[in-house]
Amino acid sequence: MIGDLAMHVADLVENSLRAGATEITVRLAREGEDLRLEVEDNGAGIPPEDFARVTDPFFSTKKGAGIGLGLPLLVQTAEETGGSFRVEPRPGGGIRVTARLGSRHPDLPPLGDLVGTLVPLIATSPGVEFTVELSDDRTAWTLSTREVRERLGEVPLTHPDVLVFLERALADGLREVGFEEER
Amino acid sequence: MKLEELRKIRERAEAELRLRGGPSRVKIVVGMGTSGIAAGARATLRAIVDEVARRDLRDVTVTQTGEKGLAAQEPIVEVHEPDRITIYGEVDEATARRIVAEHVINGRPLAERVVEVREVKG
Repeated sequence: MIGDLAMHVADLVENSLRAGATEITVRLAREGEDLRLEVEDNGAGIPPEDFARVTDPFFSTKKGAGIGLGLPLLVQTAEETGGSFRVEPRPGGGIRVTARLGSRHPDLPPLGDLVGTLVPLIATSPGVEFTVELSDDRTAWTLSTREVRERLGEVPLTHPDVLVFLERALADGLREVGFEEER
Repeated sequence: MKLEELRKIRERAEAELRLRGGPSRVKIVVGMGTSGIAAGARATLRAIVDEVARRDLRDVTVTQTGEKGLAAQEPIVEVHEPDRITIYGEVDEATARRIVAEHVINGRPLAERVVEVREVKG
C-alpha cells in the first residue's frame, strides 16, 4: 500500500504540522528485532473520544479535511510486519504515535529517501523546532533544529548552505546507525 | 553533526545580507494542506527546495502553509515579491522547477499557470 518508510514519516510529520505543533520529534530506532518509528508533537492533540477512531480510514479530526489515510496505512504496515501500533496523548499536550515494525520481516518497506523527504519539511517550517533521533542498540544520533537555529541567528534554514548542511548531517546520521537510505 | 560548520555558514550569510542591503528578495510559499498533498504538493515543495539549493539562491526563502482555499487548483505556490504576490495553480514538480528558473531568477512569471496576481501597496 505504501512505497517506503519515509512516506510514513512524512504523513506523521504533516499531521503534526496541521495540528499546529511547534515541537516535533521524529524517532527511528532499531531495537533488537524491532524497528521503532515514533513521532511526537505538542500540537492540538486528539479529544479522548476520538482516540479509538484515529485509525479509521474515513475519519479525520480536521473538519472538511477529507479522509485521513496516513495512520491506517501505518497500522497496516505494522500489522503486515508482525509489529504493533499505538497512538497516545503526550504529557503536556499533543500526541505520540509509535509503530513497531518487524525489522527483518520480508514485508518491511524500504526506508526510502528519508533525507529528501524530511529536510524540505523541516527547513520550510520556520516556527517549528524538530528533533530527529536515530539509534540502534549501540549508537544514538540526534539532530536538533533549535541548536542549529541558535548557531544560525537570522539565517533561514532554506539558505542553500544550510539545506546542504541538513541533508549531509541527516545522511551521516543514518549511516552512523546503519540505516540504508535510498535517494 | 558538525555545528562549527554552522558558524561559518552564518558568517558568510550575514556578509551576503550586508552586501545585498536587506533580507530575502523573494519568498516562495507552498500550500501543504491535505488537498495540496493529495494533489502532489510534497513533490512540489521538494522540487522548489532542491532548486534553491542547486541554484544557490541565497536571497530566496521557502515556507509551507496549510489549506489555501483553492482545492481545485492544488498544488498552490505563491511567489511573494516586494510589489506583488503571484499565485500559481496546479504546480507539479516540473512546473515548480520552471517557476524558480523563469520567474524567481529571470523575472518572467509563467502566465499559463498564474491563478491570481495581488499587488502589494507599499
